Amino acid sequence: MSATPAVIEEPPTRGQHLWQSGPAAWNEALTRPVVMIPFFILAAATPLVLQYLEDNSSWIGAQFWTTILANCAMYACLALSLNLVVGYAGLLNLGFIAFFGIGSYAYALVASDQLHQHYPIWSALLVVIMVTVAFALLVGVPALRLRGDYLAIVTLGFGLIMRDLILDLDRPPILAGHQFGPSDLNLTGGTNGIHQVDPFKLPTSLPLIGSVPHFVMYYWIFIGVLAIFVFCMLRWRHTRTGRAWVAIREDELAARAMGVNTFKYRLLAFTVSAVMAGIVGMIDAAFIFNAFPGNFDVQQTVMVFIMVILGGLGSIPGAILGAIAFTVPPFLLQQFVFIKYLVISLVLIAVMVFRPEGLLGTVSIRPRKTMGGTVELFSDQAGAEPSAGTQGKAAELESTTGAIVPEAGPEPSV
Amino acid sequence: MEYFLQNFPQQLVNGLETGSLYALIALGYTLIYGILEMLNFAHGDVFMVGGFLAAGVTAVLVHGGVSFLPGVLLVLLMMVFAMGGTGFLGVAIERVAYRPLRNANRLAPLITAIGVSLFLESVVQVFVSPAPVGLPTNAFVSQGQLRFGNVETPLTGVLLFVVSIILMVALDLFVFRTRFGSAMRATAQDREAATFMGIDVDRVIMVTFFAASALAGMGGVLYGLRFATVNFFMGYLLGIKAFTAAVIGGIGNLRGAMLGGLLLGVLESLGGGFISTEFQDAFAFLALIVVLLIRPQGLFGQPLGDRA
Repeated sequence: MSATPAVIEEPPTRGQHLWQSGPAAWNEALTRPVVMIPFFILAAATPLVLQYLEDNSSWIGAQFWTTILANCAMYACLALSLNLVVGYAGLLNLGFIAFFGIGSYAYALVASDQLHQHYPIWSALLVVIMVTVAFALLVGVPALRLRGDYLAIVTLGFGLIMRDLILDLDRPPILAGHQFGPSDLNLTGGTNGIHQVDPFKLPTSLPLIGSVPHFVMYYWIFIGVLAIFVFCMLRWRHTRTGRAWVAIREDELAARAMGVNTFKYRLLAFTVSAVMAGIVGMIDAAFIFNAFPGNFDVQQTVMVFIMVILGGLGSIPGAILGAIAFTVPPFLLQQFVFIKYLVISLVLIAVMVFRPEGLLGTVSIRPRKTMGGTVELFSDQAGAEPSAGTQGKAAELESTTGAIVPEAGPEPSV
Repeated sequence: MEYFLQNFPQQLVNGLETGSLYALIALGYTLIYGILEMLNFAHGDVFMVGGFLAAGVTAVLVHGGVSFLPGVLLVLLMMVFAMGGTGFLGVAIERVAYRPLRNANRLAPLITAIGVSLFLESVVQVFVSPAPVGLPTNAFVSQGQLRFGNVETPLTGVLLFVVSIILMVALDLFVFRTRFGSAMRATAQDREAATFMGIDVDRVIMVTFFAASALAGMGGVLYGLRFATVNFFMGYLLGIKAFTAAVIGGIGNLRGAMLGGLLLGVLESLGGGFISTEFQDAFAFLALIVVLLIRPQGLFGQPLGDRA
């Protein structure tokens, strides 16, 4: 149906300044190695700079800020994983954060006193990957055969059921009067979660740097994982698989007509994203020494969603920017934290209504004006006016940012 | 087996009671989906707002010393306020959040709807009450029980069932017997063709949102009367279950949503009563998965054709 070019990817033309070009060009510019490599080196060096400042001045706060940055990096990893499934493949996975939780709990179960298992990191990683893949297939195989809306509700329900399971599995389940497992079976610790999860066995001091505190070490791990995710996402973008994802997102029927096995590629995107979230969950459990049910309630999914949406669906630097924008303020404005979700939901609605492609997005989810627009063209003045108003605003936004968006051309006369 | 036979009628009655609530809310999902092909995630939260409006009316009237009013009048007042309030809320949501995205990629209105859902929850949580709010229902509705053999159910439960059925029949008549109803059905079939036939599609969508949201608001009132407590989170789970009911019945199909709701309520009640109370919520989810696997168009729905 969509008549407009779907993916807007025009590199900046010669003689045109970058700031006059569109989000796609910004995206392209920001994901070049010449930007990305210094960014990660700078990010990795930040805790050392903070430590140096703390040692040589009266300022204290290196640990506070490094912890915030570690959280930023963690959310950036999650936002990238979600971006894969929503931004690349166009699948609305509302149970996304459940996979983060599954990763946390899978690691906590094999690396704590809960089941008296203390796996080393690599075998624990293998377990986490296997468990998340199993759950992703369990949800994905039935749900991905259907159209997108059903996936949204199935994953939403899945997130809810996982939360219930985690809260209820501190005792053996009883089904139809039959008790499964011994009476003292306690898998998840219920509302208390699992405590004293093993941290990874890491050196506490490094050559040249000296002793490295726990939070700096995990900050580096998150930054490293983020770098790997960014690298993978950039590489995948232009592979056969990446192109198949984009094709499915833009027009599933056309993709099928081109011979793309839509089910296979959707399942792949869903599972890979789940595994990525699971790995982040595992690192988080080791970082904070516990797996706690409150860390992945449904509102967290929306939190990661807004990061991706604000940054722009499909945009890698956008997801990182979104993660920073929504992680740092809650830490600094603790007295306003009770309205956190109010603000997030308002920003989410506002972004979707006024700039649905986000700051750096390359996915055209803006309302169509050509084929689907007949309703607005032929309805009476009262009905046509408000929509024209929002489109005018959107066009204004585009002109201020200088976006090269095909739809931004002059209004077709009726 | 004896246990099963003894408890089956009671569980069935409980199931029909919750099922009628599911059906009432499922109708809203199916109406909006039928016309806009959009999953209105905020619908469950509109139901929650209806419950809070009912609680607000009772708080104002009962604590304001107007308790001399007969209970029936009070309940009617609650219903009118809640239905009107949620109806206009639904229209406002459509106008502000969904209309600008009407011709956009399918993903856009879905994401906006999640935002609206979280917004409604947060507003109630922050500005009204983060804790459950009780309704002093014993002040104005009978707390009596209806007894039939060894089956008993509170009168408010009977009210819930009866009012739901009346509203469902009314909606059915409205959609299938009136001129405006046929405009709605035409819009659902093909929005552009309906425009060419001179139907004001914007108005149809507005009325649809009003009706769907008012039904949800009424659901909130009935829930408040039956359980005497409302909380800001209640629309979330109930919304998912109601949507499940709509899918079971075949999304976009009104009568399917009603039957799906009743069916899901009974299924859940039997599952909770005879298999496991702890995992009662999981039954709705399992039912959804099974239906989607075996009959994705629902029990009464039309095959979805190329939309798969």
